[in-house]
Amino acid sequence: MSSRFFRRKKYCRFTAEKIAEVDYKDLAILKTFVTETGRIIPCRNTGTKARFQRQLGRAIKYARFLALIPYCDSH
Amino acid sequence: MRHYEVVFLVHPDQSEQVPAMIERYRTLIEGGKGAIHRLEDWGRRQLAYSINKVHKAHYVLMNIECSLETLRELEAAFKFNDAVLRSLVIKRDAAVTTPSLLVKEKEEGAKPVAAEESPLSDDAPAEPAEPIEERPAEMAKE
Repeated sequence: MSSRFFRRKKYCRFTAEKIAEVDYKDLAILKTFVTETGRIIPCRNTGTKARFQRQLGRAIKYARFLALIPYCDSH
Repeated sequence: MRHYEVVFLVHPDQSEQVPAMIERYRTLIEGGKGAIHRLEDWGRRQLAYSINKVHKAHYVLMNIECSLETLRELEAAFKFNDAVLRSLVIKRDAAVTTPSLLVKEKEEGAKPVAAEESPLSDDAPAEPAEPIEERPAEMAKE
């Protein structure tokens, strides 16, 4: 799996950009961690550190509750 | 006294009452020896999904410092006000005073990604085109 294809190294965006806390109001960031059907992308795919993945999950759920981002694509 | 972040969604038909509501909540909070550290009016926004069959809502964000009793009163006020579609209260460690990203987005009059050609209008009247535009862009990316 690792030998034949070039694979970009995964890194944690929040650590790299020195974001102290994930904000549920930052929709531009939240949308990059959500699939087009509205599901949260697992950290094994994005490389987000566990601490930020927990914050991210919380932030996405707040944003969904406030109808800032959809729960799913078929509302 | 604790710090809280409160967001509430007002029915778009009751949008004109928002300043009066804010004033009422302000007197409630300040009457309980609390303080409002940040107050933002995001205006009417398109909802990501319809709530109670409405597709738009007026968003207000408040960062407040108040006692538990005051917060309970505020929550009760939200609950028994039919104009409030939804409200969210989050505990915060400190007073947040920097303007949030959503209010910046509103002031730019466009989404922040398209900032190159944005500074034409400050207060475009609650553009419905904005979130609709955002979605295909995101899909194209993924």
